[in-house]
Amino acid sequence: MNKYSTDVKSVVKKDNTPLACDDITVVTAGQGGDGSVTVITLLAWALAQRGLHLFSANDIASRIKGGHAAAALRSSRNYRGCLGDNVDILVAFDGEAIEKNGQYLGAESVVIYDTSRGPLPKKFIPDTTRIIEIPFSRFSVRELRRDLFKNCLGFGVLARVMGLSDEEAHASIRHRFKRLTAENIKPNIQALELGFEFAAGHKILTKEEAQSDHGLYKLPHLEREDRIMISGNDATAFGFLAAGGRFFAGYPITPATDIMNWLEKRLPAFGGVVIQGEDELAAINMAIGAALSGAKAMTASSGPGIALMQESVGHCGSAEIPLVIVDCQRAGPSTGMPTKLEQNDLGMLTQGSNGDFPHIVLSPGSPQECFDYGVLATNLSQAAQCPVYIALDGLCQFTYTIPAFDLGDVKIDNGKRLTDEQLAKMSEYQRYAITEDGISPFAVPGQPGGMNLVTGNERNPWGLVSTDPVNRVAMMDKRARKIESVKHQLPIGYIWGDDNAKVGVICMGMIGDVLTEASERLAEKNIAVRCHRPRTLWPILDDTIEFVRECERVYVVECNDSGQLARLIKGAGAPADKIESILQYDGLFMRPGSLVNAILEKEKAL
Amino acid sequence: MTTTYRPGQPIWCSGCGHYGVQGALKYALTALNISACDTMILSGIGCSGTMQNNLGTYGYHTMHGRVLPTATGTALANPDLTVIAAGGDGDGYAIGAGHFVHALKRNPSLVYIVMNNGTYGLTKGQDSPTKNGPKWAPAEEGFDAMMLGLSIASSSFLARGFSGDPKQLNSLMVKALEHARSGKGLALLEVMSPCVTYNDTYPEWDAMTRDVKTQDSYDSNDKATAFATCIRMKQSGQIPTGIIYQGEHPTLESAMVNPKLNKMSKLVKNNSGCQGELDAILNGYRI
Repeated sequence: MNKYSTDVKSVVKKDNTPLACDDITVVTAGQGGDGSVTVITLLAWALAQRGLHLFSANDIASRIKGGHAAAALRSSRNYRGCLGDNVDILVAFDGEAIEKNGQYLGAESVVIYDTSRGPLPKKFIPDTTRIIEIPFSRFSVRELRRDLFKNCLGFGVLARVMGLSDEEAHASIRHRFKRLTAENIKPNIQALELGFEFAAGHKILTKEEAQSDHGLYKLPHLEREDRIMISGNDATAFGFLAAGGRFFAGYPITPATDIMNWLEKRLPAFGGVVIQGEDELAAINMAIGAALSGAKAMTASSGPGIALMQESVGHCGSAEIPLVIVDCQRAGPSTGMPTKLEQNDLGMLTQGSNGDFPHIVLSPGSPQECFDYGVLATNLSQAAQCPVYIALDGLCQFTYTIPAFDLGDVKIDNGKRLTDEQLAKMSEYQRYAITEDGISPFAVPGQPGGMNLVTGNERNPWGLVSTDPVNRVAMMDKRARKIESVKHQLPIGYIWGDDNAKVGVICMGMIGDVLTEASERLAEKNIAVRCHRPRTLWPILDDTIEFVRECERVYVVECNDSGQLARLIKGAGAPADKIESILQYDGLFMRPGSLVNAILEKEKAL
Repeated sequence: MTTTYRPGQPIWCSGCGHYGVQGALKYALTALNISACDTMILSGIGCSGTMQNNLGTYGYHTMHGRVLPTATGTALANPDLTVIAAGGDGDGYAIGAGHFVHALKRNPSLVYIVMNNGTYGLTKGQDSPTKNGPKWAPAEEGFDAMMLGLSIASSSFLARGFSGDPKQLNSLMVKALEHARSGKGLALLEVMSPCVTYNDTYPEWDAMTRDVKTQDSYDSNDKATAFATCIRMKQSGQIPTGIIYQGEHPTLESAMVNPKLNKMSKLVKNNSGCQGELDAILNGYRI
């Protein structure tokens, strides 16, 4: 998916000639409810029609209304799955938006500022910033009697600055509000036109700039490909559904709730059920009850909720119950920073429950992998009759444009689930039959002749509780064999970069695309790196260990305070003396530039 | 004919009240001619959490306190099953108390049997949530599940039996199964089931239990009079038994499970039946 190229930097020329721009980042920010997300959504659709790749991320406070809210959109000629270092255009609905985002403005960036709530706090932005000041809110109220139309007004100015044509901007509004009546769309269109007028009359934009169809920037028109724009959460839920997933139980928690909402809208049409439990314990146990009865079941939560579920996960591992658990990791510990980013649950996901039990942790790094692993986790849970985690991080809420999923490619695996006919032919049925591959045939309630006992206690092949030491060892070994039996299905690491490089870099999840960009920039500085992103975190697979062995030194880049991934890899047998951690735990996005600097510093210190 | 597990022998002390409960359940399953393969018994943790081993049906030993959400998941996944949740008073009213309230609220069609013995037998006799004046908190009053059930608007079947009265218990068990199996909702059957080792209350409970039918003009379809009568009975040192309440309320599954579409528990091999719907979802993301 990643193509390598050097992007043209976005720079606004002073001589009013619009500059060709292949990679541009726009941030809209203000208080929650100001419409930051709407402006970005409008812009995204317009740019997608030009065939540009898009990446979008929201940064929203953990409260219902208000609080600082920002939405960022990066659009580029080549696929980019992260935010760049700089913000090229900042649309700010208040001073706080400037204060929070000013640090990312480049020397030539543009700020479009709503003066309704007070003057622009200039100390937070570079002197060279081009400023467009407009009282969106006041003007929206005066002309259209409602504050809420200021988002379309802002979009009008933004469209002019970015050189979008009137038709492109209109089409985007019509698309965004296609469910509204013509009468209700009208004020939005009026707001857009007001934005155009303001841009035209504003002294920062010359008449030519504002009226030409290429504003301050000239963005390319590319050939459109068949793409979707989707978040990691949506893609994961979609994968589960496509693999035959039909039962979901959850409990609301940021940032996992999207998955419950997504399935709630769609599962009933497929004969499925979504239920909100009274807590995470109810959620996972409802899913267990359904899974035992033959339904393909999933739950999803985030750190604190996953912590509550730990006993149940170990129970599934012991009792051999197929279950998918999605962990949308967020900044911890404890309640932590619910809307901020971190990759910090690895200890819990790999060794969180009591005792040794078979389970799998998958780690997608793109929405395509989220979909694929939604399918794979569902299939693996059936094949190995064990809990399978999908470890998401910030990518659960980022949205990306990617090629449309190939739904025809989805295969459903029912593992050793018995049909009534197969069951009828068996002379005896044991739920926990000792088998060579460790996987026992699975009959579910309602099947004649399949009556069995399921328990988290140690048990004999019939499911009757047993503490017999010989049986115990046989059962522990049987369960451990299951993972060996499905190991060939576990995704190995994604490898890229320079094969001959001595320096290796390992990362996971959302950091993959950051590392791609960082490694390209390092290559420009003649520092060659080879990159590895493990996609199975439990068990750690041999190729990850081998990667460390082959490199002279390896930087493990992750968003947590203690180097959880590095610890896992060392624990799995990688030479510890070759590994150094690069860590970020401020809750913010990792930027390619900061990763480049971190690697350069480490290299210099050698 | 496929041979399946040989039903286990009860692990209980001789004289344990749970024998009576198991006997009544066996009686009711036979009386209603319910086949073993269509019956799923889910049990909690504790002495009572072994009953599922003894009846030859499908059985699941859930996690401590989680029998109700698990049974709810099973009932939703396959509404054709006879789902029986069984556990102790510690399992249901202490660690599982939150789930207990919400199960009554949701009213899924399943039977919940609570074996109330006032003690944690398996861990050797600690006081349980139904115990009046437990050792560590003498001021504490025991929890009464019937009173709680009456206070929840969507509860549809509340009954209490006594292991020492098998005739009444058999009849209550049949009625509970009938209620759940006819899709009328959650049938809560609490059984006063003495622990002969740590809380031998046979003579005491024998004297205290009194069927609500014996009360003047008791109407088991009226929560207000049921509540008042049960309080008065308790105040006079009695334990109300029998059908405390039976009424009608929409069930969880009636609003959530589409019987025409629900093939959740069936084995589905591919997406041929729903490719169009999946394509439509994908289209919604095209940009």
